[in-house]
Amino acid sequence: MAASCSTRMFAAAILALGAGLAAAADGPPARPPPVVVKHGPGPSPARLPNGKPNWTGFWVPLGGLLEAYRGPSGVEGVPGGIAVNIPHVDPTAPEMKSPYKEQSASMMQASARGEELSSKEALCFPPGMPKMMVMVYGMEVLQTPNIIALSSEWQSATRRIWMDVKAHPPEDELEDTYAGHSIGHWEGDTLVVDTVGVRPDVSYFYGLSLGHGKTHVIERFRQTAADILVDEVTLIDDDVFVKPWVKTYTYHYRPDLHIQEYVCLDNNRNVDEQGKSKF
Amino acid sequence: MRSKSFGWILAALLTCSGIGIASAHHSFAAFDTTRQITLTGVVKEFQWTNPHCWLYLTATNSEGQPEVWQLEALSPNVLGRLGWKKNSVKAGDKVTVLVNPTRDGTHGGALISLTDASGNKIGGRN
Repeated sequence: MAASCSTRMFAAAILALGAGLAAAADGPPARPPPVVVKHGPGPSPARLPNGKPNWTGFWVPLGGLLEAYRGPSGVEGVPGGIAVNIPHVDPTAPEMKSPYKEQSASMMQASARGEELSSKEALCFPPGMPKMMVMVYGMEVLQTPNIIALSSEWQSATRRIWMDVKAHPPEDELEDTYAGHSIGHWEGDTLVVDTVGVRPDVSYFYGLSLGHGKTHVIERFRQTAADILVDEVTLIDDDVFVKPWVKTYTYHYRPDLHIQEYVCLDNNRNVDEQGKSKF
Repeated sequence: MRSKSFGWILAALLTCSGIGIASAHHSFAAFDTTRQITLTGVVKEFQWTNPHCWLYLTATNSEGQPEVWQLEALSPNVLGRLGWKKNSVKAGDKVTVLVNPTRDGTHGGALISLTDASGNKIGGRN
């Protein structure tokens, strides 16, 4: 399902780009070149001394920004551009309950009108879980027997999965954080990660914070090819969704690339206090 | 509740392909990506900075007056992997740029491509 989602939706996006370009009336931008993903070997050695899969290295979203050239601004050939922050228009999302349903609808309508939505990421805050797993530029995986660290080049955000911890802290000792508290274990060659304690103000998508910090995230990481790593993310939140939300992210191993520093606060000159762009 | 027609394409862009990353930091709503204009001028300043690189370009308007344009690009971690270097563009260089201009007419835009005085396009993946 994971691979088919990615493949199908990516194909749809490319088709949509082509259709949009054909329909544009006043000098459409050049059609972007097709995305060519060159598959290669995975991390070496394939397994660690403890027999577990070795995923150490740098992975990028399959067909993502570093694999699909869109010009120096990232919008070349995209009809209409990426004109607005996208709130939570995800067809994989289950129906929401009140009041999130109404909030979501209101934000979608505002976005459809071309209004810009606020974004904490634009103010350089970490994306938090689970949104950080979008990874944008790429993800560095570092594995030790007891800790697996996932670092997002986007916003320089790191989360740690504790492999030697068997339970989350009691609720009154659990500190809410952007990445949450993650504990992991192996089921064969699948890494299963359980995360709680995500800050209430972390948004699932741009601008929408659920505001209660009760979301439970379960992930299943597995390799589907030597150079492909899939993270199936299940969001369980009975206060918000009528059923669990399963999302999938697919990453491509790129040993030719290494994670780079990204300090958003360096020259964040064109956003207002709400994280909306200004010029 | 969910608008399939609206959501499908945008969500496809964001959730699976990763193309929607232009808005990963902030929206590009200020730019009219249905329009492209060409400017030729002299580089006033090139900022090789996160979260966005900025090119300040002095171009001459139709009345013969100099105008400074502020042109935004992605971040060094992306441009560097596309063949750009921190000194690819320097103050005083004469360049030609293709730009998605701002919607409000401010002298600025999103940088689509840049060609130096010798006709060489900077960066890209061919």
